Amino acid sequence: MANENKSVWTSISFWRRSAGWVTGFATILLIWLTFDTLGQIRMGTDEELKEAVAQQKEINRVPAPTVINYHINYKMDEKRGHEVPVIGKKELFFGKEWNPQEAAELLHLGKLTSQAKNCMNCHTLLGNGAYYAPDLTKAWLDKAWQKGGPLQAMTGKNTVEEAMAEFLQHPSQYPTHARMMPDLGITADEAKGLVAFLKHMSSIDTNGFPRNFSKTVEQFKTGGTNAH
Amino acid sequence: MLTSIKTNQFEGSESKKLAMMYFRVAIILFGAQLLMGLIAAIQFVYPGFLFEIFDFSVARMVHINALVVWMLYAMIGSVYLMLPDETGIETVGIGLGKLAFWVLTAAVTVVVLVYILIQVGPGTESTIWLINEGREYLEAPRWADIGIVVVVLIFYWNVFATYMKGRKTGIMTVMVADLMALAGLYLAGMFFTDNISMDQFWWWWVIHLWVEATWEVFVGALAAYALIKIINAKREIVEMWLWIEVLMLFGSGILGLGHHYFWIGTPEYWWEIGALFSALEPVPLVAMFVHVLYDWGKEQGIAKAKGEAGAVVKNGPAMAWIVTNAFGNFLGAGIWGFFHTLPQVNIYTHGTQFTAAHGHLAFFGAYATILIGMMYLGIQEAYGIKQLRATFKSKMAIFLITFGVLGMTVALTIAGYEQVLVERAELGAGWNAFFAAQDLPWYVQAQAWRLIMGVITFVGFIYLVWDLLTIGKVEQAEEAMVATA
Amino acid sequence: MLFEQFTDVVPSFFGWLNQGPMTLTLFLHTLIILPMIWIYYDEKKKLEGKK
Repeated sequence: MANENKSVWTSISFWRRSAGWVTGFATILLIWLTFDTLGQIRMGTDEELKEAVAQQKEINRVPAPTVINYHINYKMDEKRGHEVPVIGKKELFFGKEWNPQEAAELLHLGKLTSQAKNCMNCHTLLGNGAYYAPDLTKAWLDKAWQKGGPLQAMTGKNTVEEAMAEFLQHPSQYPTHARMMPDLGITADEAKGLVAFLKHMSSIDTNGFPRNFSKTVEQFKTGGTNAH
Repeated sequence: MLTSIKTNQFEGSESKKLAMMYFRVAIILFGAQLLMGLIAAIQFVYPGFLFEIFDFSVARMVHINALVVWMLYAMIGSVYLMLPDETGIETVGIGLGKLAFWVLTAAVTVVVLVYILIQVGPGTESTIWLINEGREYLEAPRWADIGIVVVVLIFYWNVFATYMKGRKTGIMTVMVADLMALAGLYLAGMFFTDNISMDQFWWWWVIHLWVEATWEVFVGALAAYALIKIINAKREIVEMWLWIEVLMLFGSGILGLGHHYFWIGTPEYWWEIGALFSALEPVPLVAMFVHVLYDWGKEQGIAKAKGEAGAVVKNGPAMAWIVTNAFGNFLGAGIWGFFHTLPQVNIYTHGTQFTAAHGHLAFFGAYATILIGMMYLGIQEAYGIKQLRATFKSKMAIFLITFGVLGMTVALTIAGYEQVLVERAELGAGWNAFFAAQDLPWYVQAQAWRLIMGVITFVGFIYLVWDLLTIGKVEQAEEAMVATA
Repeated sequence: MLFEQFTDVVPSFFGWLNQGPMTLTLFLHTLIILPMIWIYYDEKKKLEGKK
């Protein structure tokens, strides 16, 4: 170079070294954080789930697949300042209790089906996906699917899981809006899997997303939710 | 653009010819992206349109996949275009590069045909391997994933070997390092898990670290190269800026990944990390904008002081697109991203049309613009034109496309705002809350405006293709006339 | 309310750093930026040495 560089601020090597340092260190931090997070979001075991239910406290952010055997609610947590999933008493799922292996297989089928049927290109899951159809993060808890809710009523079924499974198999027979869900050829087994997948997803601790799944101010304040 | 490959104006640079081949496919896929977008936009307004024939999910999948793939094509093309200039030698493995091009193009064709004709499969592993993986942006079936990895390895080997053999400029150093990260990240998206939180955790590694880190640095390197090429900017200054951009882009973008980890089951500490690092992401984008305008003004001033008449810009349309890039990157990625990057805001905006608004302006402003600029640079060289000036068609193209995308963004922002207030804040995000918000007049009107603006964008695209096909010949003839006169 | 009790589900190092207003993010930013000061003075020394 003809004219000598006088200031560090216009020196290429200063910026090059800084860029190298910042990139490298940020990458190391990200990898460290990733390991930390992976440990926290691994799927829990059935034993941990039983312990969590017995002690009424959260152990895993993502519970074991056997969570489908329990009642799930979504309640305001005073300490954390937002709603968190609450795993309650046992309840039957499609009329039976699923052992760990059966539950895992059902969830596997459901997750696979959710990808094979391309759910994410209309719906959002955990808020990610397309915005053409409702968010499914806490769909299991939606009041409209519960007893007395319009979605359960339209299918003529008596439980949330059966109503959802019926809808998934024949969606265009049950229009809820001018914008309908198309028939994707979902079989009875796949529908069961999908419902298990939805129920499991509703038990994941999403730091209070979606917020305000409650309806009234009273409910909100007392920690009741619109969930069920 | 078509004849440019046959008429060998590149003085024997096979690398640049290969670049034009990539650009051609890129522009076709760009067209496919816009068509699919139009179908999806129509379905928002008329839900019965192609129902159970070509559903929204299919149109939307092809829309976003064509987007990613055309950009990757144009990016690879841009690298092959700059490689001989930067390294001073011909790309080493050009035969292999051409083979990779045909393999990739054949694979993309098959994947798209399967998307369109087969659409969905049963809930088995084979669907994920053969039809589609059902993960937004990464829908490509696993066989295609593996194919993409092989093709990208060939491409990367070509770039790396040429770099090692030729001159090692700062721009190429950044490019080689960045491309390695870009290619390697794809692997993080190639597995199946039953755990949706784990699934989305790694999914964001690919998506975020592509579009908010490695792609941005790629654009920085391209802009540096283009400024030297178009306005003869001084290399030392351009490269110093490039290192500053790398510092700031990676410094904010890598840990900025945290803003996708607010609500997917990941721990609360990501709120702070995601919010504060991603809040800094617009800073380098401002810097890039200032840098482009500053260099332009400076070079024009130097030319004026020397008493040279006319503009220093050697390629009018390319420069116009690159300035649009500098501003669009800041506006679309920076401002529209910052809108909803804080968790306090994001808990309401996450998963609404806000995201779609940001997505449209950011992908256009940050990437589409500069890649189109690179195509004009390729054409200039293909026809051996000293100074490529914008035609009426070039101007119509850039005006209509930019206006259309801005219009769509504003419309979607309004739709998103309404959705946030009604569906999220007021009614609490259930099934009925969603449809209640979708039915309000302001949402419906916003979707109608989005469709109108989409049509305007498409008209702009037609001008763009028309211009790309004709500008070379027109300008070449004009220059020849001036020379003989 | 500035310093809140530990609320993370699973205790961890980063969760522990996350107990006050912006403590975690300020810590990480500082960690990243501080060494640049050293790089600055090192470069300055080199530039002056060249003269």
